[in-house]
Amino acid sequence: MVTVSLPEILDIRAASPLATELLQARGNPLTIEASSVAKVGAQCIQVLLSAHATWTADGLPLNVAHPSEPLLDALETLGIPFTDISEQESTK
Amino acid sequence: MAAIKQTFFQECEEQLVELESGLLRMEDGDDDLETVNAVFRAVHSIKGGAGAFGFDELVEFVHVFETTLDLIRSAKLAATPAVTKTLLRASDVLADLVRAAREGGSADAGAVKVIADELSALLGGAPRHGDDDGKVSVEALDFQPVCISLDSIFDVGEPEAPATQDFIVRFKPSAGLYAKANESLRLLRELGSLGEMSVECDISEIPLLSELDPEGAYLGWTIRLTTSASEAQVREVFEFVEWDCELSVETADVGKLLEALQESLEPHEAPEASAPVAEPKQTSVAIDPTPASFAAPSDEHPAAARAESAKGEGSASVQATIRVDLDRVDRLINLVGELVINQAMLSQRVSEAGLSRASSVVIGLDELEQLTRDIQDSVMAIRAQPVKPVFQRMSRTVREVASMTGKAVRLVMDGETTEVDKTVIERLTDPLTHMIRNAVDHGIEKAEDRIAAGKPEEGSLRLSATHRSGRIVIEVADDGAGINRARVRQIAVSKGLIPAEANLTDDEIDNLIFLPGFSTASSVSNISGRGVGMDVVKRAIQALGGRISISSVPGRGSTFSMSLPLTLAVLDGMVVTVGGQTLVIPLTAIIETLQPKKESVHELGAGARVIATRNTFTPLIDVGAVLLYRDEPIEATSQVALLVESESGAKCALLVDAIQGQRQVVIKSLETNYGHVHGIAAATILGDGRVALILDVDAIVARPRADMIVAEMPAAAE
Repeated sequence: MVTVSLPEILDIRAASPLATELLQARGNPLTIEASSVAKVGAQCIQVLLSAHATWTADGLPLNVAHPSEPLLDALETLGIPFTDISEQESTK
Repeated sequence: MAAIKQTFFQECEEQLVELESGLLRMEDGDDDLETVNAVFRAVHSIKGGAGAFGFDELVEFVHVFETTLDLIRSAKLAATPAVTKTLLRASDVLADLVRAAREGGSADAGAVKVIADELSALLGGAPRHGDDDGKVSVEALDFQPVCISLDSIFDVGEPEAPATQDFIVRFKPSAGLYAKANESLRLLRELGSLGEMSVECDISEIPLLSELDPEGAYLGWTIRLTTSASEAQVREVFEFVEWDCELSVETADVGKLLEALQESLEPHEAPEASAPVAEPKQTSVAIDPTPASFAAPSDEHPAAARAESAKGEGSASVQATIRVDLDRVDRLINLVGELVINQAMLSQRVSEAGLSRASSVVIGLDELEQLTRDIQDSVMAIRAQPVKPVFQRMSRTVREVASMTGKAVRLVMDGETTEVDKTVIERLTDPLTHMIRNAVDHGIEKAEDRIAAGKPEEGSLRLSATHRSGRIVIEVADDGAGINRARVRQIAVSKGLIPAEANLTDDEIDNLIFLPGFSTASSVSNISGRGVGMDVVKRAIQALGGRISISSVPGRGSTFSMSLPLTLAVLDGMVVTVGGQTLVIPLTAIIETLQPKKESVHELGAGARVIATRNTFTPLIDVGAVLLYRDEPIEATSQVALLVESESGAKCALLVDAIQGQRQVVIKSLETNYGHVHGIAAATILGDGRVALILDVDAIVARPRADMIVAEMPAAAE
């Protein structure tokens, strides 16, 4: 089990580093620690959606743990169910 | 700031052209949604910039204009001919307002008010789409919110009470949107602030992480919004990103119907959280909001795709061009001109040095010459512009003059994309405006006369441009009464322009209207009678190195035809010697060269000679005598004759001492550097560094012709 912690700011500049970091964790069950996310943009959400799809395709679990309010709020505004980025429902 | 403003006005010019051409297409019955959208975008962009620079008068007007267009775009107002006419006049007023804003003056407030009132009337109770089929509710007329601020100024009627309505907004950003620091999340939040919103996200395009471009754009949204805001306000949320996304805003009743239709056609796929990503969770369908398209939504796919690709092309072409100061281009052209001269000088030095034609220096120089020519052509191409902007300005002239004279005139344009040097375009506007005014005012008859003559009530005016053998030919043709030759002749006699007993051909009578001091208008109207006659038009065209000619058929109309050089910077010329001086004769004027034989030259009265060629007699003119290089006429047989054709089509043989060769020369204006000399069009610098004069063939040919008319010589057989 690998854990990746999301940074506070997930704007366009954070998208590439995040994708790289997640790619390095590929092949392992993954937990994404999301408690400190304060600001998030659509492109980082794209990375998280892609990661979830990738892990699903690989048959491995990927869970987003402790999602912060700003992250949940952003997902709601964008019309994306939490289960699109995480196997398990939100565990605050 | 001034530079940004400058750019804004440049863009305004482009948008105005776009606007007018779109409206003209609509007038011709083009009801493609993309045309209406293009028109709307043009007005919308002007509004954006005008607002940023605080041109309040402009913004107020554009706002009403935009609102009207929005109604047409959302099919709530039918674009009937009457409506498009009003819109075209509104675009004229808009152009005036833009000009006023640029020049710091103010536009004709009366005219602005009249059009603004007309637009407001359209907003109020104009014919509406769908009134009879009831598919579009009256509540859908949501112009109220954007009009509030204008009530005091433009006296817009009492707006209807706002009703909430449902919108379906489809929004798919491109990567460019994010790259420009815009954020879908913020846009959706802003949209949400307008009312109740439910969002569905299409994540079907998200690839696996290994294929993902983290800064790409894969998400698309379908948003159902219940709001009291207008469609314009909904669209305003996306105002700054409209070029970086696919966007459609429809009222939900349209969307509902379509959804119902879709459901009946295919099993609906319920969104499932754990569905494999490769499968689309949601089918996106392009919707055309016009009620007529309900029956066949699938047919609208290509249209929508076309519209999108057109949009894409539009933004791509914006990226592919740069704005360059005209001065810089001119400097480059001048430098290339110098390069041509320098290269010619070098060639001359080499040939003087007696090097063989096969030497590597000469071969290298030939290559250099070819290269110089290519560079010159490329540089000239930079200045080449389509004549479209000038032509479009003419459509306004036609509208104005037609409404002033109470005639119905339709302007048909042809070949607007024909390219010509920018200087030519700029200097074409005035003569062309005058000719168009003349054609509508004098050429086309009044409606009752047209009906009596068995013609359609609406007059037709055709403006066309074509490339013909290295020149651009522009024609203004009307289907009016044609030139009243008896009357033209009578006026010319009464004004002393020709003797009463002069025996003139039809063609010569037609050409009398180009004589200075000639005006056919029996009463000076405020349209044509501005003290500017066709002689001024002719001089303007000649100043451009062009020729103008006229052909007229009584009862069928007249055609004015202008032939202009594509560029004013270089000229292909025949270099000749006259009286020890080197002259250049434009190659375009020369038909052939011949060696006069004693038996073919005939004396005709005092000092006049004709030469017989191919069974016709052509006046023979001694260039040396005309330019006063010598006093005594020279024996023709010792000379070379160049058969030339003037702008009026008259042929003439010019006597010169010898021909040196054919060469491309760079034109240097004589007027700017020295002054006007009769018979001389311009000057150039030869390879040896000496100045050579370029002959004004028309002036040389026209002089004896005028003499002949006044002296009433029997017209030389041509």
